Amino acid sequence: MRIISKEDFADFVEALIKDKSLNVIGVKSKGDKFAFGSLESVTELRLDYDVTILPPKKYFFPQRETLVTYDLAKGFAAKSPIEAKPMVIIGVHPYDIVALLHMDEIFRETKSDPYYFEKRQASIIIGINIQKMSKWCFAPAMGCAVIDYGYELMLTDLGNRYAINIGSQKGEQLLEKYAKNVKQALARDVQLVGQKKREVMDMAQQKFDFSPEIIPELLSKSYEKSGFWEKHAEKCLACGSCVLVCPTCYCFDVKDQADLSLEYGERIRTWDGCLLEDFAKIASGENFRPTRPTRYRHRYFKKGKYLFDRFGFISCVGCGRCSSNCLPDIANPVKLFNAMYHELRNRGEQVAPAAVPEVEIQTEGNIDYVPKLATIVRKVVMTAKETLFEIKLDDGTDLNHKPGQFVELSVFGVGEAPISISSSPTKKGTFELCVRKVGSVTTRLHALNVGDKVGIRGPFGNGFDAEQLKGKDLLFIAGGLGIAPLRSLFNYVLDNRKDYGRVILLYGCKEPREMLFGEELLALTKRDDVEFKPTVDWCPENELWEGNIGVITTLIPQVNFNPETTYAIVCGPPIMYKFVITDLKSRKMPDNHIILSLERRMKCGVGKCGHCQINQIYVCKDGPVFNYSKIKGVPEAL
Amino acid sequence: MKPKVAFFDFAGCEGDQLQIANLEEELLTLLGQVEVVSFREVMKEHSDNYDIAFVEGSCTRLQDEDRLKQIRKNAKIVVAIGSCATIGGINSLKNYQDLDEVRKTVYGDKAYLFDTYAARPIDAIIPVDAYVHGCPIDREEFLSVIKSLLLGKKPDIPNYPVCVECKKNENVCAFERGQFCVGPVTRAGCNSCCVNEGTICWGCRGLVDNPNENSQKEVLIKYGLTVDEAIDKFKLYFGWQERKR
Repeated sequence: MRIISKEDFADFVEALIKDKSLNVIGVKSKGDKFAFGSLESVTELRLDYDVTILPPKKYFFPQRETLVTYDLAKGFAAKSPIEAKPMVIIGVHPYDIVALLHMDEIFRETKSDPYYFEKRQASIIIGINIQKMSKWCFAPAMGCAVIDYGYELMLTDLGNRYAINIGSQKGEQLLEKYAKNVKQALARDVQLVGQKKREVMDMAQQKFDFSPEIIPELLSKSYEKSGFWEKHAEKCLACGSCVLVCPTCYCFDVKDQADLSLEYGERIRTWDGCLLEDFAKIASGENFRPTRPTRYRHRYFKKGKYLFDRFGFISCVGCGRCSSNCLPDIANPVKLFNAMYHELRNRGEQVAPAAVPEVEIQTEGNIDYVPKLATIVRKVVMTAKETLFEIKLDDGTDLNHKPGQFVELSVFGVGEAPISISSSPTKKGTFELCVRKVGSVTTRLHALNVGDKVGIRGPFGNGFDAEQLKGKDLLFIAGGLGIAPLRSLFNYVLDNRKDYGRVILLYGCKEPREMLFGEELLALTKRDDVEFKPTVDWCPENELWEGNIGVITTLIPQVNFNPETTYAIVCGPPIMYKFVITDLKSRKMPDNHIILSLERRMKCGVGKCGHCQINQIYVCKDGPVFNYSKIKGVPEAL
Repeated sequence: MKPKVAFFDFAGCEGDQLQIANLEEELLTLLGQVEVVSFREVMKEHSDNYDIAFVEGSCTRLQDEDRLKQIRKNAKIVVAIGSCATIGGINSLKNYQDLDEVRKTVYGDKAYLFDTYAARPIDAIIPVDAYVHGCPIDREEFLSVIKSLLLGKKPDIPNYPVCVECKKNENVCAFERGQFCVGPVTRAGCNSCCVNEGTICWGCRGLVDNPNENSQKEVLIKYGLTVDEAIDKFKLYFGWQERKR
């Protein structure tokens, strides 16, 4: 530990500010509140603050950030404009340091986010032990009021001087280069710092009536508790303030913004929030978390349960920003968890701490937000709404996908949309996407022609396990556009026909004119190694239809299958799953023989943006293909 | 072929068209993309041959409906610009009063010459394809909507409240400054411009799709407004939308 007088500390900060290669940031006053901002003079620095309006995450994961730029004239090139100037951030409280450590894990998992880490690695964190605590703060209870790592330097105010804990070599070098008269701390200073840190532990006005380590278990017992979430969310304005000021919230939206010439533009990401109404809404209008109580519940579960299960930490540092920013005062985690705790206790339920999960974060390479250029080589209009696009990557490579995976398809200036791949990987050179015209990207795509350029990222997702299905009888059940992802596996199986047992395809759509891949399917009727049964919900009088009439489930009794050897592969609109699964189970099909492909809103494709989350599951990377036995207990899944 | 655009005004202050006329150098770039065939504030010529019609102002009398319907017939795309056209605007304040009294107040003994009915947004009369909200409209947002239309993309009009932008801009909440704001139920897209300048959100962009109005009124009262004052906050811009809900 070192000691520096306040005068010398002021000179140290001024010396940093004078170095124009650095961006020196500190806590400044803003009205009656505080905010991190660029320092022009040390006199602006307010190390006696209670809490800043926004946490320092805004410097690593900014409110608005360019991911990709593009230029139509230059052959439609996309490039990634990463750049970061070294930052020194002065005055970070321990809870915000813990929050950054949480963010590091989240942005590192599966694939690293280069935009985040470039700035993070170019930063120097100078922390300060809390002197004043906001009345909403409960960081001591969360174990985040003091910290011994995660910083370059940590200051403690000792009246006329600061004690400095050195947390890294970078911190040591910073002091050597910019500070004068830094002395070794005496034993009494070390003692004083210890005392100050103990005082911090008693400062909080917000207190849990239990030990917060039971929060994951409290939540586990409260998901479906009748009326609880409705009651607490009744006053929710769905304004998103609680999540937007949160130091550990990381969900984002991605948008394209074109220049007025329409020739240039950029793709940006901007903070999003799971409390906002359209957060889980997909282009077709389906909203997977449509009510305020479900979104309100999701926030608490995400912080206290889902991230705990995934990373081993409760993703709340107790800063109290959510509580202080909630006008109807319903976002205070202490108040909510206390209410939950007492309700459970009154019912005589015991809640023990959850075992901290064994977590090993897997990560491999960086996320690439820059799409590969690709060309539309064939366009087949299939119905009034759906068109098949055959696409070739301009670099001549194969997509190398697995059946059931998806790509993020870009139409520059309009945006990116997740589209499942309809062709089998056995088809080389090109791949096919069967696209319904529903949102802006797909509408614009439909207006493009052969020879036009699009962008492709991916493939993403897990896909079907075609190996595991070898030797099995396969019962494909597709509803409407659900045939699109199933076709990738179906065609793969036909191309490797000898490896599989019986192949049965049940396909239903609303009316004959909506049938996709009509000619291809008609050809199946001539094969003796495939059993194909189509159905329509209804047939207009002037149209010809010789097949079954009725919803997809009316076909299931028409096929005989051995539930022990058969796997059902199901994809269709959300409403279809419940009924199909019920019927399959009544035919004694085991749960783990039912395989589903699910659809959600997806912006990143790599488990970061948060939109596709079904309870603890990320559809984009844990799915979109799921074994029913794994998700039957996941309440938001079906 | 550049799309032909025309501007029209109904009951309003024409402040939104003024925002467009004031685009300055961007107006020239814009003219590279579209051909303006009718714009009373900046040109004398007029043509009924147009693809995109921008309509400012609310509909406040029966005889205006025919003119609106004619515009709808002529145009491929109709865009409502400004609060009066998008949500009824402050004209809707008169909907809370006796309309005969309103006429007498404005026109005195000539009131019998002037017809009137409850002020309403233009989508109460004709289908509208896109909206540029605000009182007045934000020039950047106007350009963004034009760009979207040219790209064949649905304009990116948020369905979240102004609080989202306020938080991103790290504003001190108006309530914490002792002021009263309807930002928590008002559609964002303005980049919280009023609050950024130290004032409040008045609600000029209208309500979000599913506002929690009761809770917002409770908040206003909790922070010190009387019930009547809280209701007045909602009347200023939300008159037509509240009545419809």
